[in-house]
Amino acid sequence: MKKNNLVKETIISVIKKNIIMFVLLAFIIIAVVVSSLVPPQILKNIIDNNLLPKDNEGLLLYATFYFCFIFLIGIFDFVKESLLTIIGQKITKEIRIKMMEKLEKVNAMFFSKNESGKVVSNFINDVDAINSMFTSGIIGMIIDCFKIIGVVFSIWMFSSKLGVIVLFLLPIIYSITRIFQKRMLKAQIENLVLVGKVNNHISESVKNISMIKSFSKEKYMEEKYNEYLIDNYETVEKVNFYDSIFSPIILIIRSMVIAFIVILSSKQLNFLGISVGMIAASIELISNLFTPIENVGMELQNIQQSISGIYKVNEFYNEPEDNEKIDELDVNNILNNDNLKISFNDMTFHYEEGKDILKDINLQINHMEKVTFVGRTGVGKSTLFKLVMGLIKPSKGNITINGIDVYDIPNKEKRNIFGYVDQSLHVIKGTVADQISLQDKSITMEQIKNSLDFVGLTDYIKTLENSYSTLVKNDNLFSQGQKQLLAIARAIVTNPPILLLDEITANLDSITEEKIVKVLQKASEEHTILTISHRLSSMIASDKVVILENGKIKNQGSPESLLQNDDWYRNHIALEKLTWS
Amino acid sequence: MAKLKTKPMKEPNKIINYWLKEKLIVAWIIIFGLVYNISIVLGPIYQGKLIDSIVNGNSLYSVSLISFTFVFIIAMNQLFRYFKRFYIRRFANSTSTTMRFMIYNNIMHKTATELDDENIGNLMTRAISDVQLCVEGMRKFSTEIFDTGVMMVTYIFSMIIYDMKITLFSIVFIPIAMLLADKLKIVIYKFSTEFRSKSSEVADITYNAIDNAVLYRISGMELQNKDKYNEELEDLQNKAIKANLLENSMRPIYNVIAMIGIIIVILMGGKKVIDGTWTVGIFSTYIIMFSTMSKKASRAAKLFNSIQKSQISWKRIVPYLTEYHDKDTTINFNADNTDLTVKNLSFIYPTGKDTVIENICFNGRQGEVIGITGPIVSGKSTLGISLLGFYPYLGSIKIDGKELKDYTDYEKSQMISYLGHSPQLLSETIYNNITLGNKMNISNVLKDVCFDIDIKEMTHGENTLVGNSGVRLSGGQQSRIALARTLINKNKIIILDDPFSAIDMKTEEKIIENLRSNYKESLIILISHRLTIFNKINQIILLHNDKKVEYGSHNELMENSQLYETIYNLQCAVGDEYEEK
Repeated sequence: MKKNNLVKETIISVIKKNIIMFVLLAFIIIAVVVSSLVPPQILKNIIDNNLLPKDNEGLLLYATFYFCFIFLIGIFDFVKESLLTIIGQKITKEIRIKMMEKLEKVNAMFFSKNESGKVVSNFINDVDAINSMFTSGIIGMIIDCFKIIGVVFSIWMFSSKLGVIVLFLLPIIYSITRIFQKRMLKAQIENLVLVGKVNNHISESVKNISMIKSFSKEKYMEEKYNEYLIDNYETVEKVNFYDSIFSPIILIIRSMVIAFIVILSSKQLNFLGISVGMIAASIELISNLFTPIENVGMELQNIQQSISGIYKVNEFYNEPEDNEKIDELDVNNILNNDNLKISFNDMTFHYEEGKDILKDINLQINHMEKVTFVGRTGVGKSTLFKLVMGLIKPSKGNITINGIDVYDIPNKEKRNIFGYVDQSLHVIKGTVADQISLQDKSITMEQIKNSLDFVGLTDYIKTLENSYSTLVKNDNLFSQGQKQLLAIARAIVTNPPILLLDEITANLDSITEEKIVKVLQKASEEHTILTISHRLSSMIASDKVVILENGKIKNQGSPESLLQNDDWYRNHIALEKLTWS
Repeated sequence: MAKLKTKPMKEPNKIINYWLKEKLIVAWIIIFGLVYNISIVLGPIYQGKLIDSIVNGNSLYSVSLISFTFVFIIAMNQLFRYFKRFYIRRFANSTSTTMRFMIYNNIMHKTATELDDENIGNLMTRAISDVQLCVEGMRKFSTEIFDTGVMMVTYIFSMIIYDMKITLFSIVFIPIAMLLADKLKIVIYKFSTEFRSKSSEVADITYNAIDNAVLYRISGMELQNKDKYNEELEDLQNKAIKANLLENSMRPIYNVIAMIGIIIVILMGGKKVIDGTWTVGIFSTYIIMFSTMSKKASRAAKLFNSIQKSQISWKRIVPYLTEYHDKDTTINFNADNTDLTVKNLSFIYPTGKDTVIENICFNGRQGEVIGITGPIVSGKSTLGISLLGFYPYLGSIKIDGKELKDYTDYEKSQMISYLGHSPQLLSETIYNNITLGNKMNISNVLKDVCFDIDIKEMTHGENTLVGNSGVRLSGGQQSRIALARTLINKNKIIILDDPFSAIDMKTEEKIIENLRSNYKESLIILISHRLTIFNKINQIILLHNDKKVEYGSHNELMENSQLYETIYNLQCAVGDEYEEK
């Protein structure tokens, strides 16, 4: 597969879209560099033309000029900062949009392989790193390089000898700076490792706090924490040492350079042959040379560090995608008549070659049929549901609804075909009504109210502060059982013909349990239902039970017949009924 | 490098105490802060003298002498600066260490009820980042007292000595710039809070989209979500631009305002040179001083902002900065002749509404094994937890005739060993996980939990690292290590809640045999839903969902309890569910 470089593409496209801004930026960079060279020149003129010859004329003009340039530098700096902020934000936004588009297409297996936290960090931290690399890294470095060139050039104009001296000084100052910066980075990395240890100890203590308390080991954990803190303290001391000494050393070097230039220009040596004004200006210019050199080193370092951000973002962008869906398929031409038929045709699925999760599954489910899947944990029941909804592609064979491969159905149609009730309700950000509609604009308030009425939550919701518009902020708003009912309401709000019920394992009190059973019974009257075995499934009559073992269908039939001729099933059901897991 | 000893401090909730605590460091900061910022004026003065020596055409010797003095003065001054910087950083370092230490102590000593109320993990990480922000502010504040306060006084004083009139006229703009920065602080704060809250909102939305990706995909919501995400990003971009423009881009503007006075300096100063009252050197000295002061003023805004941020952080961490807790470790109980009497025990979780268990009565003596079993949600784990005495309970639990709530927390933890559902391993060696800091021989206990064979196969033996939460071990190994940790102290009472999950039946039987023969000094309470292990133990408590309780030996219950008999037979028929894979 061709590797896509998202970051490069985006930066180029942002440049193309905002070409005027970039031209302005280029102009401002030049203006910033040039204008910062002018004040020393004016100072030189003041000394040489007014102060030494003791001439008053033009002094006011120079003074005004001097301030004007300070003013211009300020304005240019302001515009530069502003442009960089705006451009950086545009790039950030563009990359995030592209990543979100990718997220829509990425293979569903991506989500089981990657923790949400890690992916979120790709979206947030890595993109931020790219932004700062571009603005304060690359562009900052361009500006600083120009500044250095400008200073050397100005000094060269005064005296080529002094120019040569400065050229010699450049690599020396740069190497000293780099030595410090590298040591500092090393100390910082060591420190980061220790900070990681300190933080890990905290999260570990919190996770295991009941164990620690039950053994009265608070002191032991505190001593461990203290050890980490002291190690951390010592590495920070090291970082502090470099941090504290670097700038004083640079200033001492600067004073030596200045002293050196002055000695060279003394009357007796007169090696440089320049005027007093020029000397004063050169001192000023050389002072301005140190900051850009320091910056270049830091910028290089920042660029190196944030390159990993680019790698991570590009890596995400190159994750395998789902096959193209067939856009013409919509709910009407899939469910063209009342007769709905799901069939599993010789379907096999594996995540890894050679390790089949499901093997050669052949099964027909007819209109309005209620089918229950049972089997031990890890037998692939949940995977089976993902396959039915076309989230993942079978390794062999297929699953069809009325002859149409479920994997080809566009995602936007799925909600009209399948209603999926998960093991637990995934609460999304938003109001109570949002929990049902998932903020789908095509779902009306009417539909939401109906589905909540169907599961019997209307009365409770009306007691809430803002009834349907109450924000669901914490976990305590709904009880376990009410969450289960919300999940059902969410699944049926679009009135899909097929309901998929994943294990309902929550610990429920008997009244709520009864409620849920009633709702499910009511729902089963008008839906084709696929259920993964759970305690309540035995209370809703099913037409067919499918027993899975080692990825295969071990046995199938009506619950009555299986109760008679499958020992494992009989005992399993008996234990379930006694609520003994 | 100074050896640090983290010592608990008194009254950690008063910010001033952090300075008082580090008396020596603070004294050095004051000394070097004063010396550096007073001697700093010598730099520009000697730089002026250098120029004058050229103007006057001094001899090479005299120029060199002044040059060396200049370098020497700068070097000394920078040396003071280095010490000031270093001690201020050391102050920040040890303050941050102390704060983190105190917060850790506070959280580790919260009661079980308090811990349930708070989302500790979140709070803890937030507290740590708040400590950083707060200490950063304290550091900047301590720095700027000298680097802005003292330095400005010294500079203004020297400038007044040079010329009263010029100084008064020219520096009038500096306070204006600072005033503007202070006024804008409020606006900046508003914009930057808006930006920050938007930014965390977008992070939330991103997390929501990624965490619920599968839900959104099967609901066909991805397209609508993407459009909404784009809008949010647009909004974030605008807020970021506003906040950044004000916070960073305004700096050049403050500088321009503060520098207005330069016109006066050049004009009036120039005139003085022409008059002959000032030398060119003094002129340049004065300009350097003036420019440095303006630059300081333009940075003031940043300082104001960081102090404000640090105040907010301080308010958030103050609730966790309480007096140092130390557990009372005196013990007042007899290690032998354990007698447990439970009478009419009922239990309600502090956060719950309903009683989970009601009217439990039983007796147990040293050497016995008591089994607790029941269906899901019958409260068997709760019974185990209530026997620990960490939560308030109703009725009576007496150990050796004394009520459990009258023992101290430390005594409770030394009388009762408890193992809950999760192994709660630390990312440490196997040895440390079992001994938790005590020096003990663990080979016997490893044999008891059937780990002796496992440990022989590990290259590092007892010193094998188990990884984060024990990931490097199998589930069965993890629970056996946790069991070993619970057993090694051989307390009066050992409570094991479902310790054999993920352990196969044969090993389980062997471990129970070992428990019976090697832990005769203890009373063992075994909570499990697997009845097959109960046929060899002294008495069984069978909890029902309707809060009914049955007591008896295995044989008695097989005869009298229908539920017990059915479950026992069914479990024997269904077989082992936990075969280790």
